[in-house]
Amino acid sequence: MSAIQQYLDLFASQRTVIEDGSCSTMNAERQAAFDNLQQHGLPTQKVERYKYTDLEKALTPNYGLNLKRIPLSVDPYKAYRCSLPKMNADVAYVVNDTVVPATLSFHENAEFIKPYYNRLATQQRDAVSELNTMLAQDGILIHIPAGKKLERPLQIVNISAATIDFMSNRRVLIVVEEGAEGTILFCDESPTEQRSLTTQVVEIFAGKNSKLHLYALEETADTHTHLSNMYIEQQERSEVTFNGMTLHNGITRNMMDVHLVGRHAAINAYGAVIANAQEHVDNNILIDHNAEECTSDLLYKYVLDDKSVGAFAGKVLVQAGAQKTASQETNSNLCVSPDARAYAQPMLEIYADDVKCNHGSTVGKLDENALFYMRQRGIPEPEARLLLQHAFINDVLQHVTLEPLQERLSHLVELRFRGELRHCDGCKMQNFCN
Amino acid sequence: MLEIKNLHAKVEGKAILKGVDLTINDGEVHVLMGPNGSGKSTLSNVLVGNPKYEVTEGSISFNGKDLLAMKPEDRAHEGIFMSFQAPTEIPGVSMTNFMRAAVNAKRTYFGQEPMSASDFLKLLREKRKLVGLDAHFMGRGVNEGFSGGERKRNEIFQMAVLEPTFSILDETDSGLDVDALRIVAEGFNQLRTEKTSAMVITHYQRMLDYLKPDFVHVLVNGRVVRSGSAQLGYDIEEKGFEWIIEEAEKQ
Repeated sequence: MSAIQQYLDLFASQRTVIEDGSCSTMNAERQAAFDNLQQHGLPTQKVERYKYTDLEKALTPNYGLNLKRIPLSVDPYKAYRCSLPKMNADVAYVVNDTVVPATLSFHENAEFIKPYYNRLATQQRDAVSELNTMLAQDGILIHIPAGKKLERPLQIVNISAATIDFMSNRRVLIVVEEGAEGTILFCDESPTEQRSLTTQVVEIFAGKNSKLHLYALEETADTHTHLSNMYIEQQERSEVTFNGMTLHNGITRNMMDVHLVGRHAAINAYGAVIANAQEHVDNNILIDHNAEECTSDLLYKYVLDDKSVGAFAGKVLVQAGAQKTASQETNSNLCVSPDARAYAQPMLEIYADDVKCNHGSTVGKLDENALFYMRQRGIPEPEARLLLQHAFINDVLQHVTLEPLQERLSHLVELRFRGELRHCDGCKMQNFCN
Repeated sequence: MLEIKNLHAKVEGKAILKGVDLTINDGEVHVLMGPNGSGKSTLSNVLVGNPKYEVTEGSISFNGKDLLAMKPEDRAHEGIFMSFQAPTEIPGVSMTNFMRAAVNAKRTYFGQEPMSASDFLKLLREKRKLVGLDAHFMGRGVNEGFSGGERKRNEIFQMAVLEPTFSILDETDSGLDVDALRIVAEGFNQLRTEKTSAMVITHYQRMLDYLKPDFVHVLVNGRVVRSGSAQLGYDIEEKGFEWIIEEAEKQ
């Protein structure tokens, strides 16, 4: 029996409970998701986009869900404080799938989200998105009205925590209207050692001339499975920059589909992955150039130690009408242990004839000559390795334009390479489960 | 200071050094000459502990300590420095961070506190002047985008900062124009004291002019076949290595 069956059964038997704890907009999408999952099941690893992550295995454990919407026992603003110096951010929380403050929740914005909710996510009928649509009960809405500029970065802290093995289905909707601008930082934490699974669907609508800078920092436990699908639709002259950092995790699959539908839209996606032990990080990206003169710039770097697995698949699709597309895609991997595995798959599919597209990838080891040069100068081998790894990842960090965050990340990366990072020590985390 | 006895070494399975004996005392500068492939660079690399080179026989004592038992970084702390023939580029590691790591590693080795930021920057500033290396190089990656001459100057700059007692200059003069060679050689000379020694590999008379070595040794086929004063270097410049090789074969 496929792992999906338990979720289908759960939905069939608990549908009323799920819907009672949710809103009409979300409930309207459930049946179609259920039908599709029932009909197609889960994609196997023979399916191109799931080649590197075994979904069947990820979904097999029997996780508990908070379907009855038991309220949080603690106030996250008190229990969790992020002391990132000089960040000066507005902070919101998604604890499992409960949104704090509630004013940002889908519950309180059911009418607003109607034209957006599930519009992008449903296009590919992706199994993770469908599972999320079938079960998710709430989400967080970030709406930046036309012409408005967020004065401070908005930090959204995603916390996965419980006293039992559990699953949470998280939904995010970001609507950046015409000419609006904002910076958003997602921090993913899982402070408990329980086995946990998060599915996350993020839909982003970037209006004409809008600017969005999105950061996602993952520092979850090795018992955590993180399945995230992000969909972005960009209108004319919109610019979206995404920085994704996986510093600590268990099993992570980040899928990102970007649709450039207006002329001169620009997407920049920069990713850094640091993995060791048995960690697994899979970034699967599709950039769909569907309008003229759009640009895409992708840079993903992985440092893989021990028996970790890093996969990168990035496909740039240039549709027939998308003339004067400019695209650059680079993926570099550093395997610092002989048992680490890197899968690199940059792809270009071009149907227009006047385009400028580059793509490339490398998989390598630490430069032995550089290592020896440093040791000759007296730098001990572990320190030399650390400096080289830090240098390798550094050009991704250079794209982090939020200065306090860049400093922080640089510090975290160093701690990580020293093996001293459990989670960002800016976090003052208390137990959420008391 | 340095005593090499019956040293045999191989690289990539091939025997290169076949019984080198060499003694270098405090304050002496020794020049090592020899045809290509005679083992000069192998000897340098063995001295600094390059893991690609394997010692199969013999011993090296440095200030009474067993050098071959030491890790490369500890040899550096004990005072050995090599100016590389082809200094490596390390993109992303700035010269400043690189030097700070090196300076503080040495201080840690000797049980000292790390150097304060202001003292460290002062030290860099002072030593840069010695070889005429502009401040902007300090913000760049190590040797990243440096010309050949700048790399060699950078080697002497690092030597000045780390203050080794025994320096190896492995063809530091190669690829330098006349002015660059003068700057490098004069920089090196300024760092010389009665307590510091050096082993210099060179093919050029001009280097002999600047360094005024105490001894010149000729390495042929992995062995020192002839030693003499600086004059030996000038003789080789004039007559080549053939006559030395022939004489060595007769013995």
